[in-house]
Amino acid sequence: MQEKLFEKISVIFSYNAEKNTAIPYKIRWRLCDYFIKKLAYHHKVREGRELLHIFHVSDGNLDFRIRFNTEDLNWILEEVSDGSSY
Amino acid sequence: MDLPINTAIPTVMHIDLNSCFATVEQQAHHHMRGKPVIVAAYKTDRGCILSPSIEAKKLGIKTGMRVYEAKQICPNVIIRDTDPILVRDVHSKFMKIFDDYSPYVIPKSIDEAVIDFSPVFSKTTDLIVIGKEIKDRMKKEIGEWIFCNIGIATNRFLAKLASSLHKPDGLDLINYKNLRQIYSSIKLTDLYGINTRFEFRLNASGINSPLDFFQAKENFLKKNVFKSITGYYWYLRLRGWEIDDYRSERKSFGQEYSLKEKTADLEKLKKIIMKLCEKMGRRLRQSNQFASGIHLGIMYQDYSFWHKGKKLHRSISSTKDLFEEVMILFFLQLKTNVVSKISVSCFSLNQNNNQQLALIDLGGEKINKISGALDKINDRFGEFTITPATMIDMKDVVIDRIAFGK
Repeated sequence: MQEKLFEKISVIFSYNAEKNTAIPYKIRWRLCDYFIKKLAYHHKVREGRELLHIFHVSDGNLDFRIRFNTEDLNWILEEVSDGSSY
Repeated sequence: MDLPINTAIPTVMHIDLNSCFATVEQQAHHHMRGKPVIVAAYKTDRGCILSPSIEAKKLGIKTGMRVYEAKQICPNVIIRDTDPILVRDVHSKFMKIFDDYSPYVIPKSIDEAVIDFSPVFSKTTDLIVIGKEIKDRMKKEIGEWIFCNIGIATNRFLAKLASSLHKPDGLDLINYKNLRQIYSSIKLTDLYGINTRFEFRLNASGINSPLDFFQAKENFLKKNVFKSITGYYWYLRLRGWEIDDYRSERKSFGQEYSLKEKTADLEKLKKIIMKLCEKMGRRLRQSNQFASGIHLGIMYQDYSFWHKGKKLHRSISSTKDLFEEVMILFFLQLKTNVVSKISVSCFSLNQNNNQQLALIDLGGEKINKISGALDKINDRFGEFTITPATMIDMKDVVIDRIAFGK
């Protein structure tokens, strides 16, 4: 299953200065909480002058592609998938 | 006199990411790891597979197959479309790693690069150790699912061959000591640049294996097999001498699109051509160049091909000018048929320093200024924020792709 979305979500983000890691800790989507266990990939992209941070994360069951817009400080869920072919 | 094998210490390293598009998807999507994944141009049954993952390759799924063929082999195969932004990010990250080792890093494609160590090589340099370090850094700095093949040799041709010996996570060195042994363990088509038709041509000259090819005399290759200087180039290449280190410069900009829905509808084709011209024009203007040549190629549904190019009396760069010139060529077609593929390109690039003034000013300067203003808006607010009206409803057509090849 792979679903492309464009929905605002709530995110708790954690930054650890000692380990120099920055990773979403928890996301709330459609009133459900998902605790992030794995940051699979992070990259930045520019849309015009806007800088977006894209995080590919997993809670152990689902993979999420979420983006943080540094211009308006919004979090958007762009994709949810579970690694199955349907 | 026969030229000996190059006995110099190998200083060329070829690095190749495995199943790049699919592996990058597996890196970004944790649940796809270890599963057969294919990245296809389109996810529909007729979509062409661009990259199968290592697991999919093991099942017999190959690049170039159709999606329905992959489904027949493995009904549970995961089908993804390309994510050019993600792949380009991985590319820029590994290029950054390579830049730490030599000032001469040459990207060969989105997933391949050559590092030439010759300017920085010293007695203490051990390319095997550096190769292992690069592999480790790619896992740490890009992602733990990123594997690469590394080949080391005295020239690029042999370095690429070395990188293909032990996929998917190989590190091999070819030098004058093991060259013959490696040639005797592979097929002719394992050599980069030899396809099945080329193999047939070599077979016709009595060359049936890479070892035969290697042992062939220079004159035989030049006069009997290739009948040109190409034979001499192969003679050098196979002995480890470098002849592929030329640098090419850009001579044209072009865009190509295979239509999802084949059509002969002029309005639909005009929209596609406009978008191709806008993308081509953006790249042309970003390079601060003008073009004084234009070309249009069309492939029809029956696989026949028509193309036309012409030199212009002026230098152009705005999308409007490019589109108008392409449409003039478009109407020169002898027949109207259902179109399956369109390509546009512009050539004779110049800096337009000595533009001759036109006797009747058609507002060329004004058009260029408007074009520059539109580019600034798109730079500020994102690609295709402002477009020609002809491009309305074209958001999901002619999407961003990564070109194959060098």
